[in-house]
Formats: sequence, structure tokens, C-alpha cells
Amino acid sequence: MQKNNRAIVVGDVKKSFGKLVALNSLSFDVNYGDFFGLLGPNGAGKTTMVNMMATITKPSAGKINILGLNTETDSLAIRRKIGLVFQDSALDRQLTVEENLLFAGALHGLNSNFLKTKINEILKLFELNDRKKDVVGTLSGGQRRAIDIARGLIHEPEILFLDEPTIGLDVLTRMNIWRFIHKLQKSRGITVVLTTHYLEEAESCDNVCFIDKGELILNGKPERLINQFNVEILEIESLEIEDIYPDIMAIFGQGKLDYKTAYFKVEKDTKNLINEDLAIIKDRFGGKLKRISIRPVNLNDVFIWVTT
Amino acid sequence: MGNYVRFLLPIYAVIKRDLIKLTRQKGRLLSAIIRPLIWLLVIGSGFNAMIDREDENYFDFIVPGVVGMSILFGALLGSLSMVYEKETGVMRMILVSPLTHKRIIFAKMCAASLSAVVQVFMLLVVLFTFGFVDFSIDFSILFVGIVILAIACSALGMLVASFSETLDNFAAIMNFVIFPVFFLSGSLYPIQSLPPLLRNIAEVNPYTYGVDILKHAILVPNGMAADFPLLNSVGFLLIFTVIAFFISSWRFSQEKVSANWFPRKRRK
Repeated sequence: MQKNNRAIVVGDVKKSFGKLVALNSLSFDVNYGDFFGLLGPNGAGKTTMVNMMATITKPSAGKINILGLNTETDSLAIRRKIGLVFQDSALDRQLTVEENLLFAGALHGLNSNFLKTKINEILKLFELNDRKKDVVGTLSGGQRRAIDIARGLIHEPEILFLDEPTIGLDVLTRMNIWRFIHKLQKSRGITVVLTTHYLEEAESCDNVCFIDKGELILNGKPERLINQFNVEILEIESLEIEDIYPDIMAIFGQGKLDYKTAYFKVEKDTKNLINEDLAIIKDRFGGKLKRISIRPVNLNDVFIWVTT
Repeated sequence: MGNYVRFLLPIYAVIKRDLIKLTRQKGRLLSAIIRPLIWLLVIGSGFNAMIDREDENYFDFIVPGVVGMSILFGALLGSLSMVYEKETGVMRMILVSPLTHKRIIFAKMCAASLSAVVQVFMLLVVLFTFGFVDFSIDFSILFVGIVILAIACSALGMLVASFSETLDNFAAIMNFVIFPVFFLSGSLYPIQSLPPLLRNIAEVNPYTYGVDILKHAILVPNGMAADFPLLNSVGFLLIFTVIAFFISSWRFSQEKVSANWFPRKRRK
């Protein structure tokens, strides 16, 4: 069953919508039981890739194998074995939580006795057992998201696709959703494929794949990608950062800028050297500077420096 | 046995879900009775007053039409729930399940048909209670007519739903589908009395043949006439249903259509 230990094999996949090439020659593998992150900015092609892996759309070229099955010829068999949670809710807001989950399970041919036990089990995991009889429209955004994930799990899939599962949720709710997802992955050992543009959420992935404008940029273990950088990040925050950026850039080289912070790559273990440079900057712009710090690289940095 | 259950359970689930929703929409259930009764009483009274023949009662003539109307609206609104499901994203839950597009259309047609049958039986109880129909009618033809017409109307609804992406054009659907289908059907007048062009249109309108079966069940046993031989009407409706089912399934399975129900962000 677990031939080559690969649950998903994406081989040279291309997808076009008319003249727009959404994905171009994308290849990657996902191992059984992995927590895999498909990462990239909005419009990178993540959802297009998930839709093809979930057999909703077909690749324009290339092949996708899911659990040893071809997405183009074995779509129904694949759908029995995967769960898919969309960016926005697919639940019927007029039905109760239980009715939605019973419906989703019955679509997979599961009988109601089995499903009722399953629903109790999953809702317990998501700490939502007391909302079983409530109409979905009365739940909060975070609770609906959790029920959406429960819907994707009700038929015990071998692979769960989570397409931006925390988009639009507040920080606390996001933390809770992640707690549930990790608990779930630990207890069942299923393969989870996550797409997100919140890269800090992907740091616990076993493997990640960065895509941008439909092309593969990087892939590998998050810690390996981070370690490859072998630098630290200097952050300088100022409300007038755009005015002072050219002078700082002259010292630390080309950096990245957001609306009030400049980021620069600095060599590891060169604090003394940096402190001398920073002293010059503090001298010149002291009053304008709000914060200066040096921190380790994270996945966001990797992505920003690789894609821009 | 296992495969048999696995085949039927999803269809049963779609039907059950639609019926649960129907029972929660009290307004929809009430209008399924009130709408035909308004036509029967208001239009019936008006036309009856204009007919100057003691041997003919327009109320009797219009009964198959209002029974048909209940089925038409019940099945079409049931089928059009698919457009609501596309808009709200619920359709995606169905599409990612291991069902072929044909089975999804079939399940939705079953649900819409059953919902129409429930609504027309509620209306028939009222019609019997107030004496608009009596026990002289042919119950077997009535039952077959109701079932076949409900299936045909749900197939028509599915055809409309498979080409409609939003309920914003519901008014257009009412004006260009539901009303023409109802008015040009022999529900309100015998189609022989229509001008040639309208009669030709009525003769290709599948709903005409459904109402005709109901006329065979309700009018013919009481000495009144139907428009076509019974078997012709049954045959025409069945052929229409099969064609509509295949066109809807084909349309539904087109990736360029279904991909729109899975929104993706466009690159700037």
C-alpha cells in the first residue's frame, strides 16, 4: 500500500485558464503521515494546485498521483480517501451541526449509526459537543471553521487538504484551530496538506514547498531552509523609515522594507561589528529610531528573500 | 448489498436534507397551498363569470391546471435550490464526495420531485375538503401523472439551474421560464382554442403534456376532454425528462462551469 512512502506525487504539472498560466511545471512529493505546507502569496496557485489534487479540476499537462491513484482516471476512488476543507465555509447555515455532518458522511455512503458515533468523537476533539444541535448560522467564525474541518474528516480520509484554514480568523481562534489540527494529526497520523500565506503557521510542517506565480521556488524541511540562510535578521523600526532607509542601506546593503520597518541580512556572530555600524546609525538618526533588534531567520524571511 | 447501500445512501441523504429544509420553510409550504387556491378562486371565478354556458363549469376545468401549478412551482423551486447551493458554497461539499455528476443531478431531481409530490398532496387534501375534486376521479392516473409531472418539472428546473450561476436572475427565470411554461400549457384554457403560433409553442411545452395527464385523471372521468391521447403525453414527458437529465448532467460536469464554484484568487 505505502509504496515508496509517497502519498502524493505531483509530476511536472501545468494548469492554464485560457491564456493565464496558473501553474507551470510544478513537481513535488508528499510522504505518508507528513504535515506538508504548500506556501505562497495570494494568487500563487496554491488553491489551483489543491483543486487538482482533490480531483475537482484536471491538470492541463503533467500527472498527479494520490495514494497511488491517478487524479484523471480514478477521481471517485481518490475522493473516497481524501478530505478537503475550503478557504470559506461549505456548510449549510440553515442546518444544524449534526445535520451537516450526517449529510457530509452520508454522501460518502456511511450509515447514520456509524456517523453518530463519529460525530461525537470529532466534536469532542474540537470541544464543540455542546453545539451539535445548534444551527450552523448561529456559530462563530472560528466554530464554523472547526466544523468545516470536522466535515472534511467525517469519512476518515487518509489525506486531509486544508486550503487556508485560518484565513480571516482572529489570532486566538487561529491558535485554537492549529491546536486541533496538530492534535488530530498526532492522534490519527493522517497526511495533512496545508496551504497558507501565514508562513509562521507552516514552521511546524515536516516539509514545505514555496510557490510563486505558479512556479516552484523552494522546497524542503523548514529548518533546513532556514539554516541554509546562515544569517540573522536586523530589524530597524522607525516611523520615518522610508527617509532614512537609503543611508542605512549604504551600511548594511540591500534590505527589505515594510511601512515602518527595514530588514537586513547580517552575518551570524558578528555582533561587535554590527554594534559599531549601529552606533553610527543611532548617532545620525537617534531620535527617529523606535526599535533595533537582531533575531534568527524565520520562514517569512526565507520566502521574502527568495521571491523578491 | 454493501455497494447497493453505498449507491443509495448519498441519494437518500440529498433527498432527506432537502425535505428537512422544506419542512423548516413554512412560508414555502403555505404558498404551495395558497398560490394554487388563489388561482382557482380568483381566476376561476372571473373566467366562470365570463362563460355563458350552463353545461360547463370553469372551476372544474381549471382544477388540473392548479394541481399542475403546485407541482410545477414545487419541483422548479426544489431544483433551483441547486443555484442557492452553488452561491453559498454548499455545492462544493457535494462535489468533493465520491459521486458522479449524473448521480448528483439524479439525487437533486429525486429530492425536487419528492418535495413537489409532498406539496401537491397537501393541496389535494384541501381540494378534497372543499369539494373541488371528488372520488369520481381516476386515482391511478392521477398518481402516475403527479409522479411523472413532478419528475419532468424537476428535470426542467435542473436544466435551468445548471445554466444559472446566481439567484439574482430569479425574476428572469420566473418571467422567461415559469410563467410561459404555465400559461402556454392548457392549464387555463384548452390549447385548441389558442391562436396557431401559441398552440404550436404549447405543443412543444412538456408541461402541457403533464397537465394533460392530470386532465385524463380529473376531467375525463367526469365527461370532459383532454388535449392528447394519454400514452402520447406520458411518452412525451418521459422523453423530455431523459433529454433534460442528460443536458443538465453534461453542463454540470463541465470543468469551466464547476470551477467557478471553487473560487481562486487571481494573480495581480
